[in-house]
Amino acid sequence: MLRQLMAVVGPAERRLLRTVLALQVLGAVLQAVAFVLIVPVLERLLGDEPEDAWPWVWALAAAALAQSVVHYLATKGGFKAGAALSKVLHNRIGDHVSALPLGWFGPTRTGELSNLTTQSVMGIMRVPGYLFRPLISGLLTPAAVVLLMFAFDWRLALAAACTAPFIALVLRWSTGRTATADRLRAEAMTEGANRVIEYAENQPVLRAFPGSRAAGGNRLDEALSAQRDAGRQVMVAGVPGQVGFTLTVQAAFTVILVYGTYLALGGSLDVPELLALLVLAARFVEPMAEAANLGSALRSTRAALGRVQRLLDEKPLPEPEHPIRPSGADIEFEAVEFSYDDGRTVLEDVGFRIPERTMTALIGPSGSGKTTIARLIARFWDVTSGAVRVGGVDVRDLPTEDLMSRISVVFQDVYLFEGTIEDNIRAGRPDATDAEVRRAAEQARVDEIAERLPGGWSAQVGAGGAALSGGERQRISIARALLKDAPIVLLDEATASLDPENERAVQHALSELTRDRTLLVIAHRLQTVLAADQILVLDEGRIVQRGTHRELIAQQGRYADFWAERSRSRGWRLSRTPVAG
Amino acid sequence: MAAEPAALPSLLQPIRRRLALAVLCQAVSALLNIAPFLAVAELARVLLADGPVDRDRAWTVTALAGACLLVRLLFLVTASVVSHLAENDLQLSIRRLLVGRLDRVPLGWFSGRGAGAVKKAVQDDVHALHHLVAHSLLELTAAVIVPLSTLAYLFWVDWRMALITMIPLVLGIGLFGRTGAAFKKNLPALDAAMTDINGAAVEFVQGIAVVKTFGQTRRAHRRYAEAADRFASFFRGWVDSLVTPRALSEIVLSAPTMLFTVLLGGTALITTGRTAPEDLVPFALLAVGITTPVLTISFAEEEVRAAKAAADRIGAVLATDELPLPERPATAGPGAVTFEGVGFSHDGEHRVLDGVELILAPGTTTALVGPSGAGKSTLASLLPRFWDPDEGTIRVGGTDLRDLAPEEIYRRMSFVFQDVRLLRDTVRANLLIARPDATDEEVEDAARRARIHDRITELPRGYDSVVGEDARFSGGEAQRLSIARAMLADTPVLVLDEATAYADPESEAAVQDALSELTRGRTLLVIAHRLSTVKDADQIVVLDGGRVVERGTHDELLALRGTYAGMWQAHERSTVWRPGSPSQSTADDPTGSDTLAGDTTGSDTLAGGTTAGDGTTAGAAPRPAIEEAV
Repeated sequence: MLRQLMAVVGPAERRLLRTVLALQVLGAVLQAVAFVLIVPVLERLLGDEPEDAWPWVWALAAAALAQSVVHYLATKGGFKAGAALSKVLHNRIGDHVSALPLGWFGPTRTGELSNLTTQSVMGIMRVPGYLFRPLISGLLTPAAVVLLMFAFDWRLALAAACTAPFIALVLRWSTGRTATADRLRAEAMTEGANRVIEYAENQPVLRAFPGSRAAGGNRLDEALSAQRDAGRQVMVAGVPGQVGFTLTVQAAFTVILVYGTYLALGGSLDVPELLALLVLAARFVEPMAEAANLGSALRSTRAALGRVQRLLDEKPLPEPEHPIRPSGADIEFEAVEFSYDDGRTVLEDVGFRIPERTMTALIGPSGSGKTTIARLIARFWDVTSGAVRVGGVDVRDLPTEDLMSRISVVFQDVYLFEGTIEDNIRAGRPDATDAEVRRAAEQARVDEIAERLPGGWSAQVGAGGAALSGGERQRISIARALLKDAPIVLLDEATASLDPENERAVQHALSELTRDRTLLVIAHRLQTVLAADQILVLDEGRIVQRGTHRELIAQQGRYADFWAERSRSRGWRLSRTPVAG
Repeated sequence: MAAEPAALPSLLQPIRRRLALAVLCQAVSALLNIAPFLAVAELARVLLADGPVDRDRAWTVTALAGACLLVRLLFLVTASVVSHLAENDLQLSIRRLLVGRLDRVPLGWFSGRGAGAVKKAVQDDVHALHHLVAHSLLELTAAVIVPLSTLAYLFWVDWRMALITMIPLVLGIGLFGRTGAAFKKNLPALDAAMTDINGAAVEFVQGIAVVKTFGQTRRAHRRYAEAADRFASFFRGWVDSLVTPRALSEIVLSAPTMLFTVLLGGTALITTGRTAPEDLVPFALLAVGITTPVLTISFAEEEVRAAKAAADRIGAVLATDELPLPERPATAGPGAVTFEGVGFSHDGEHRVLDGVELILAPGTTTALVGPSGAGKSTLASLLPRFWDPDEGTIRVGGTDLRDLAPEEIYRRMSFVFQDVRLLRDTVRANLLIARPDATDEEVEDAARRARIHDRITELPRGYDSVVGEDARFSGGEAQRLSIARAMLADTPVLVLDEATAYADPESEAAVQDALSELTRGRTLLVIAHRLSTVKDADQIVVLDGGRVVERGTHDELLALRGTYAGMWQAHERSTVWRPGSPSQSTADDPTGSDTLAGDTTGSDTLAGGTTAGDGTTAGAAPRPAIEEAV
């Protein structure tokens, strides 16, 4: 755990952590010294000259005082280290995440990162303040006590030392026993959570059909019961460990008690010394029991550290050492191959060129690689082999900011920041004048949205702000892109139907945005396809056909099928009832 | 352990007896915990007594100590096992209670929260009770019994020494009270700081694509970094105020301090002859044990606080109002579905529906149209009783919907939603939802008619493939499955979201074929988005602001030149846009026809025919004049 912790922090925190550790070690040793000083005090008090105890009492006082001071410093240092950890971890996570390729940011990342920055970091922050002391004193104090016992009676000290390996063995055995059950329970809990989410998400269906209550309810109930059973198993698996550990620790005390009594009755051990050593033995077992209770806290801290480490191990996109300035705004793919990290190949031998100020439409079934092509241009990921060039320069030789300044992306998942409508548009070009922002807004018909909202232009949108429809969000994102005024536009056409009013506004705005630009569009509408200078038909990651509509419709193949199918569905309508046949 | 919230005792009711047993066992074990030390103290007396040592007695005491430890272990484990088992069962029973309640709350409860919140209530909040029920109760028992019984014994041995022993205990508990108060005072601020950083992290991730493509990485990062700094400095200040009282109380209650106090007092009393030396032994042995449980409790403070908050949240969910079910369910005769003066509001203020009168005559198609937010979906969702109307009545064949048993509603109506959800279960089970007693032949027939049977048989295990495991469906395929569901339900009334027909561009035609088959001959209520689809409806109802503003057939409504006519015009024009065409200001292009099929004007032009290629290609394209079901 310590190694993991040291690995994710900087040198300043490492120093701080080492100081806290050293203080805790010192504290544990001082505590052991204080414990051991009981022996001479008690020996004298129970012996014939109680007065002789005084110097030892003062020695004990000194040890207790020293231990208190060290404890205070260690506690203070521990909390300080905790705060320092929060800062360094949050910053390192933030720095690293902002350097990661856009492809890394899938839908599950939000929950992952919000858990990481709160629960995981909080868990790690507790380590120096809460976990160091019991762990160190649990290990060191008993060891130091046993060592110092040798100074008084080597036989009892040896007996105590002999129990140590048993305690370690039992601890190891019980952790091993619970590990499997813990894993099974974690799985059962995940299954339960997934079933609950399914239950919540499927409410409309579950309520609209008679059989669903049985079907959905049963699966959920099964999962919940399985979770209960798994919880039981964890306990059943844990009980022998708990019994074993307590039993061993008690046995250690009992061994010293019985052996000591035997020695005292045999006359080879002074009675006061025996009693003093028994008092000491009681102190010997307690810190160990306390440390043993920390098992689950340790496990979760290790897991939290592991999560942080895994995130920091994600590789950022390399920035070019010798950046090159591109000329123009054409796009070129040369023998591009792309696979995800898990080996799934998405694109194979994709090559095409989009000349400046022309429009290329991508069509193909879902999963054929359309979105990936658009994303490779924006360098969400780097290609596996081949090259993507913008303005004649490999995107890997362009500094990220330079590349991004040339591209406007209008995808379907529109993100609005917390802030006003105006803030959100201005994000496209922070140094734009107010007039320029207004103009972009008018072109995308955002002024109509602003009129509708109570706060007008300063109405809050985004998380916690006014609820905007999908079409309205899209209009704001187009205004943002209009303001940015980049020579290349990557556009993913909306699939979902918008209400007529929004659809008109969106289309008007898109016309403005795409005028005189190099345009790559993932096309769903027939008109878009018709207007394209070049159509690329994708299937399973390959370009299977390319050309203009006129060229392609004349050939047998995917495109003709696509066109026939889409044209047919375009005219579909619900029939007037009743109908014959 | 302050007063527990009201929710907790009633939640714990079912396991009250078992918890009592666990507490009893824990109390016995706490008492027995002292026994071995008493034995050592007794051994001291025996060994230190004048004259010959009573060997038998010495061994008896030693054996007793060992035996007490064993018995104590037995009780300790029993207490822990009983409380854990009880807590384990409690989790299941609370979860079942929650699910049972959620089954009957209005659907709005879910849409207002999202699946994450439901999962949090059923899983995380229930889990948060664990520490309180399984540990804290027992820890509290030990923390009360051990110091009290130890002190009682110590007072019996020597009251002066006992008083001295109590000094650090009293001091320490007082200091702890102060730490606790400082801790609690700042908790809201801690929560706020956590929420702050959480929000910044969420915005950071969700906005990253925008942030990066607009070259604003540093800006969003700065917001997050500022939140992180605020959190760190808040935490610094918070622990700075805590660290001194906390460290002091720990020091006062620590083992070295206790030992020093006892030995200092002991030495003083023994050297002045006020106390017998052997009486000091129990103090040296037991003093440290008094304070340990107090420390244990204080460490668990955070978990207990979380558990209490969780119990309150669970209590709030369990107190949610249910949709009332009829006591004596009526049966509905045949006949129309009628809305009579229906009004509805989600929040009690903003009216979503107002005075809606509507008749769905058997065998007719009714289309609901209107701008988004007009109340179309809400109106349709009153039929499956996702909500009950605030005013007015919905009748099926003359009977109030609220007087019908749920089964009766299911027999009359089925639903096809735009947003298809499939359960992680077999394909067959997903279809059987509609009619649990359907035979395999009926299931397959429904799938065949929904144009999805072939796709299912291609799966590795056919109908027994599990959705999300070895059966993955595209949007259009999932929609056809949901259509198959409705086929299987075979109800006279069908509620359909028309967007279903267009939600997946890749398989639009297949979905449309399936819908045409499904809707044939049924009483149909359609939530319409694309006006051309519902042009042929028997009745088109225009909603605006929750009111019916127009109704009639397509031609009648066009003649009115009102809301519908305006929407129709907008709809026609919106279909002619093309990107990247510099010469065309499309929104103002009046020549565009509605669809490629030219079903409104009979024109065959594809898109206004402004570029040379279009006219030619229109001719080359297969004429898509396939009018379903006509």
